[in-house]
Amino acid sequence: MRAFLSVLFTLLIFPGFLFLFVCALTFQWIDRKVAARLQGRIGPPWFQPLADFIKLMAKEDILPTGAHKTACALLPMLSLASVLTASLYIPLGGKGVNAFEGDLIVVLFLLSLPALTYFLAGWLSASVYSIIGGNRALLQYFSYEVPFLMVLTGPAVLSGSWSITEIVAWQSRAMWMVLVQPLGFILAIIGLIGKLKRNPLDIPKAKSEIGAGPLTEFSGRKLALWYLMLYMKTVVGIFLLVNLFLGGSGLGLGLPGAVGFALKSLFILLILSVVSVLYARLRIDQLANFGWRVLAPLALAQMLMVVWIGVI
Amino acid sequence: MSNDRITIPIGPQHPALKEPLSFMLTVEGEQVVDSALRLGYVHRGLERICQRRSYVQNVHVVERVCGICSHVHSSTYCQAVETLLELEVPPRGLYLRALLCELERIHSHVLWLGVLAEILGFTTIFMYTWQDREIVLDIMEELSGGRVAHAANIVGGVSIDVDEDQIEDIQERLDNLEPQLARFVDLVHNERSFQARTRGVGLLPTGVARGHCAVGPTARGSGIDVDVRRDTPYGIYDQLSFSVITVDDGDVWARAAVRAEETMESLDLCRQLLKGMPKGSIKTRAPRRVAAGEVVSRSEAPRGEVVYYVRSDGSEQPARVKIRTPTLPALSTLPIQLQGVNTADIPVVLAGVDLCIACADR
Amino acid sequence: MNVSQIVEALQQNFPDETIEVRDVPMRDTFVELAADDLHAAVTLLMERFDIYHLSTITGEDTGDAIVLFYHFWDGQGLTLCTLLSREAPHIPTLTDLIPGADFYEREVHEMLGVMFDGHTDLRPLVLPDDWNSPPPLRKEEEEKEDEQ
Repeated sequence: MRAFLSVLFTLLIFPGFLFLFVCALTFQWIDRKVAARLQGRIGPPWFQPLADFIKLMAKEDILPTGAHKTACALLPMLSLASVLTASLYIPLGGKGVNAFEGDLIVVLFLLSLPALTYFLAGWLSASVYSIIGGNRALLQYFSYEVPFLMVLTGPAVLSGSWSITEIVAWQSRAMWMVLVQPLGFILAIIGLIGKLKRNPLDIPKAKSEIGAGPLTEFSGRKLALWYLMLYMKTVVGIFLLVNLFLGGSGLGLGLPGAVGFALKSLFILLILSVVSVLYARLRIDQLANFGWRVLAPLALAQMLMVVWIGVI
Repeated sequence: MSNDRITIPIGPQHPALKEPLSFMLTVEGEQVVDSALRLGYVHRGLERICQRRSYVQNVHVVERVCGICSHVHSSTYCQAVETLLELEVPPRGLYLRALLCELERIHSHVLWLGVLAEILGFTTIFMYTWQDREIVLDIMEELSGGRVAHAANIVGGVSIDVDEDQIEDIQERLDNLEPQLARFVDLVHNERSFQARTRGVGLLPTGVARGHCAVGPTARGSGIDVDVRRDTPYGIYDQLSFSVITVDDGDVWARAAVRAEETMESLDLCRQLLKGMPKGSIKTRAPRRVAAGEVVSRSEAPRGEVVYYVRSDGSEQPARVKIRTPTLPALSTLPIQLQGVNTADIPVVLAGVDLCIACADR
Repeated sequence: MNVSQIVEALQQNFPDETIEVRDVPMRDTFVELAADDLHAAVTLLMERFDIYHLSTITGEDTGDAIVLFYHFWDGQGLTLCTLLSREAPHIPTLTDLIPGADFYEREVHEMLGVMFDGHTDLRPLVLPDDWNSPPPLRKEEEEKEDEQ
C-alpha cells in the first residue's frame, strides 16, 4: 500500500503532473513578463496563465465537420502523455524517477512524439490553414531535429554514458559541458526554439499567415491540453539542457541543489525570451536552408571535436 | 484539390487584414499561381453622399473616406472648393494644414511599419512603433482635439490655431521623436531577419509599376521619381525644401525603406513649418454658393496621389465629386506582386502595399 | 509636358474632328474628343509624349449624355473628356495600353453601366454580387433616391 501511494505521489505530485503543471504556468508567466518588459509593455499578472488555462477548459469544444473526431481528441492527450513520461526520466538533482542506462534516448524520442501528433492534428482537423501548418511543422522538424540530436549526443559521448544521471555525475566530477562544448549548447538552444515553435521559429503557427496552424480548428479543452503540452515541453526541454550542459543542480556556491537547478533553468528561459523578441519570423525555406547549411555542419563539427577530445 | 492546387481564401476576415477585403488565392505547393480580388465590403457611397450635401457639410463627409489619412482628404477637397471659389487662403492657414498633413504622414508610415513588423512576427518593433506613434497622435490631439479625425479643415482655411508655447512644445516632442524614427530607419537598413523576410518579396519592376499607374511609396519603391508635393506644388509646398526618396529595388523592403526615410523628411518639414509659421488669420470667409466650374485637385497622401474631381453647377451642392484614393492603384498591382510568391509571404506582400480598404471602397 | 504641343498633335491626328480645349484651375487642361478617337489619342500621348499616368476615370451622367473624364497627369494634369450616348454607352477599353485602367473602368462600368469594349473582366468590384437594380449613379436612379 505504501509503495503504491508513493508511486502515485511520484506520478501525480512530485516530480509528476502537479509539479510540472506549476512549473509550466510559472515559466509561461516569466516568459510573457520578460518579453513584455522588453517590448515596453507591462505584462500579465502572475495568475494569468492559470486563468487562461481555466478559461479554455470551460470553453465550448467544437470541431469542424470533416475533422477526425477521435483522432483530434486523442492527439493532444497522446502528446501530453509523452511529455509527462519524458519528464519522469529527467533527474531534478539526484536521480530521475525511471532513470536507467540509456534514458537520454528515450527522452529524445518522447520529446519528438509531439511533433508528429502536431502534424497529424493539422492533417486531420479539416482546414486549409491547419494542413499548411502541419506540412510546415514536419518540414521544420526535419530542419532542426537532426542538428539538435547530434549536439545532444555530444555530452553522452564525452561522458561515455547514455544515462542523463551519469552525464550529470560526470559533469560534477569534471566540468560543465557548456565549457567543453559551448557551440553545442548554442545549437541545442536553437534546436529547442525550433522544437518549441517559439518566435522566431514559430513558422508552423505563424498567426498572420495561417491562423494558428495545425491548432486553428481546436478549441476548448483540447486546445487547453495542446497549450499545456507545449508549456510542459518547454519546462522539460529546459530541464534537459540544464542537465546535459549546465551540470544539473550543482552550483558550487554552497546553495542548495534545488536553488541551483532553478537558477540555471531560469537562465535558459531568459535566453529563450530574449531571443523571441529580437528577431522576425523566418520563412520555412529559409529555416530549411539555415538548418542544413549552417546548423547541421556546425553540429557535425561539434561532434568531431567531442570525439577528438575523447581520444586525447 | 486537383494538381495539388489549393484555393486559400484571404478575407473578408483574416488576421493579416485590418479591414475587410476578399482575396481568393490559388496555391500550388507553396507558390501562388492565381489571385482574384473583391472589394466593396465597406463601400459607403461617399461620392453620392457628397452630391446631396452642401459644400460645407462635405468637408466632414470626405474626412471619413480614410481612417488613417483623414486630414489629407479634407485638405484636398477644401483646396478644390477654394479654387472654384477663387478664395485666397491666408498663409497661416496653409501652414497649419500642411503641418497636420506631415504629422499624419509620420503617423501613417510608422503605423504601417508596425503592421508589417507584426506580420513578420516581429512584435517588438510593432510595440515600439506604435508607442512612438503616440507622440505624433498626442501632438495632433492637442492641435485639433482629435487623434485621427481632426475636423481641422474648413473651406477657406483651418479652424485650429497654435500659440508660441504650443509651437515650442511641439518642437520639443519632435526632438524626442527624431531618435526613434532614426532607429526605425536603421532597423530597415540593418536588421537582418527583417531584410530576410522583405527583400525580393512582392517584386514590382519599374515598367510594370508605370503601367499600373502606381503612386506614392509603391511607385517610389519601384524607382519612379514622383511626388505631387514637388511636381505639382499645392498649398505652401513650393516654399518648403524636402527631398523625394526613391529606391530601385521594387520589393517590400524598398517600400519600407522609402516610408521609413520619408518619416525623417516629414519630421524636417514639420520643423520648417513650425519655424516659418507666419502671423495672421487662419481663414477667410467662404460663400455658400459656388459658381459653376470644375477642378481637379491633387495632393500627396501618405500612400500617394489623392485626386478629387469636383464639378459645380452653381448651386449649394456639388454636381459631382469623384474621389480617387491611392490605395486603388496599389491594389491593382497586387496580383502582379503576388505572382509566384511563397504562401508565407502573402501577408507580407499584402502589408507591403499599405492597404486601406475603406479608402479603396469609399 | 507641353500642353499646346499635345493639342496640336491631337488636332493633326484627327483633322476631321473639332477638338475643344479648356483650361481648368490647378494646372489642368481638359481636351474634348470623340469616343472613337480616344484609344488612338492615348496611344499618341504615351508614344510621343511619354504620358503614362492615368490618375483615374471619372464618369458622370449629366442627364443628356454620359461624360467620361480620363485624368492623366505628368507634373500637370491633362484630362481627356468624351461624351457617350445614354442609351448604350460603350467605349474601347484602355487596359491594353494601361493595365492600371482596369479598376477604374470596372468602377465606371458598375456605377454607370458603360461598356468597355475589349475589357475581359467586368465583374462587380464595389457593388454586391446580387445587385439587380440599374447602375446607381445614373440620373434616374439618383432622382428616385432624392424623392425618397
